[in-house]
Amino acid sequence: MSAILNVSDLRKSYAGVHALDGVSFAVAAGSITGLIGPNGSGKSTAIDCISGFQKLDSGKVALADTDITGRPAHHIARAGLMRTFQTVRIYDRLDLRDNLAIAAQQFDPATWIDEFLRTRRYREAIDAAETRARTLVELIGLQRYYEAEVGILSYGQKKLVALAAALMPHPKIVLLDEPVAGVNPSRIREIEVALAQLNRAGETFLIVEHNVEFITNLCHQVIVLDQGKKLAEGTAAEIQSDPRVLEAYLGMTPEMAEAEMRGAA
Amino acid sequence: MKLAAALVVALVLGALPFLTASNYIIGIGISALIFTVAAAALNLVYGYTGLLSFAQLGFWGIGGYATALTVVTFGGSFWSGLVWAALINAAVALAVGYPTLRTNRHAFVIVTLTFALLVTLIARDWVDLTRGPLGIPNLPPPTAFGYSFDTTAKFYWIAWVFAVAMLGFLHALCSSRIGRTLIAIKQNEPLVRAQGISPMPYKLASFALSAAITGAAGGVYCFNLRIIDPLFLDFYYMQTFLIIVIIGGAGSFWGVVLSGIALSALPEALRFSADFRMIIYGVILVVAMFVMPSGVAGWLRERKIARLRQSLREALR
Repeated sequence: MSAILNVSDLRKSYAGVHALDGVSFAVAAGSITGLIGPNGSGKSTAIDCISGFQKLDSGKVALADTDITGRPAHHIARAGLMRTFQTVRIYDRLDLRDNLAIAAQQFDPATWIDEFLRTRRYREAIDAAETRARTLVELIGLQRYYEAEVGILSYGQKKLVALAAALMPHPKIVLLDEPVAGVNPSRIREIEVALAQLNRAGETFLIVEHNVEFITNLCHQVIVLDQGKKLAEGTAAEIQSDPRVLEAYLGMTPEMAEAEMRGAA
Repeated sequence: MKLAAALVVALVLGALPFLTASNYIIGIGISALIFTVAAAALNLVYGYTGLLSFAQLGFWGIGGYATALTVVTFGGSFWSGLVWAALINAAVALAVGYPTLRTNRHAFVIVTLTFALLVTLIARDWVDLTRGPLGIPNLPPPTAFGYSFDTTAKFYWIAWVFAVAMLGFLHALCSSRIGRTLIAIKQNEPLVRAQGISPMPYKLASFALSAAITGAAGGVYCFNLRIIDPLFLDFYYMQTFLIIVIIGGAGSFWGVVLSGIALSALPEALRFSADFRMIIYGVILVVAMFVMPSGVAGWLRERKIARLRQSLREALR
């Protein structure tokens, strides 16, 4: 599989603290890749720098064959990289239909002149967005709320809306920043199923998440960060048995982990 | 449905000079129409885009002076004066907005407030251009094809046509994808950027359009007064526009239009009590804000959401 996202030697420091200290990795097209690590390991900074919401000190980010390093966030989005946010961001006062329609509007060729004259180009763009929106809404199971203001939804449902919005313009890759943090446990499974289904349909995801079980269930490849550096990389099974990961992530030495496993057995 | 209702209201308002011969009532009608346009322009930049702009007062004044000076000093017509008022204001708004909109929203409020005060100073102190505190009295009535709009009733038509045209334009704009994008920018700017939309051109355009329309409204209004002087930049006008937007419901087109007409008439309706008029007006505003903190439109919206929740609950049962 070819890499859709390639980042090399990302560096970013805040007042002398190295949030990212030379991180490189690649995300294969059609995969679900997990990015995990303890608090302060640089996961969120990595997502913000890749998506253009923060400026990198140095390093290179390439989306497919396009260099997107240092470009403003809206340019990166137009290039096909969409993202969600740790604290859910949606348009609370707009209905679900408009929330999804706006997410796609920058990607169709219709201008305000097309809209004013109701040209065929405008009507086709609207119809295409509507079809896409209906498909995604069905997938996240919120058909009932299509015409409702999304502010009335629960936190977990809002996360699903944010996910659907990110998928609206058929992106090359979607970066999910803690998609299940703060979500009711019974809903986590729903999100997991939806993501797996979308991935089978060809979507590529890079997921930052604390919930290890969620990451293990979903991801083909997991990257572990610690103190701004890449600590390990591999399949979920490989990562779970990596002593360095256990120490950094769980705060345990391999011996302690082993002792705990014996205790559990 | 809303449009049909609006059409009926517009036609009834248009017929006002046939319904009454009172110049006093027609004068209130003129103010109501022009204030509603200025408030709707403020609603575009504040209610939709979320930028609290006190610069509206400055644009109102620049528009008034630009129109008056076009006629009196440069010998142009009232109509070309309105066009100049709109163009000059749009240019000023772009120049002020381009750097200021890069700062945060609080800084924007302060800069626009300062701008309005600066325009007041210029109106008073640049005596060569504005004739200072004396102002420019005896503005001639507008004429078109030899017809002179020299009575209050005739001038009412100008205000009516102006209001219908401007509100029609603003309605088309606000109900388009552009209007929806402005609301999105107000609600969640980072998300807008994450969806590939650059907020800056939208903010700048809404600020400049709002300035142009406010300027033209100021131009019409000073020819209604027949005089322009630094009092034209009294904070009373800014306050009026802001109250109309807040009571109507920032971000609601029809809420602001209805509240513009109602609140322009309200102080006059309270004239039965000359002494307590402004006190009663104040009490009504305070009570309105207590009962409907997000304006009339916000109140209606909350009721709609409550009904929606109720029906969803019942459907799930």
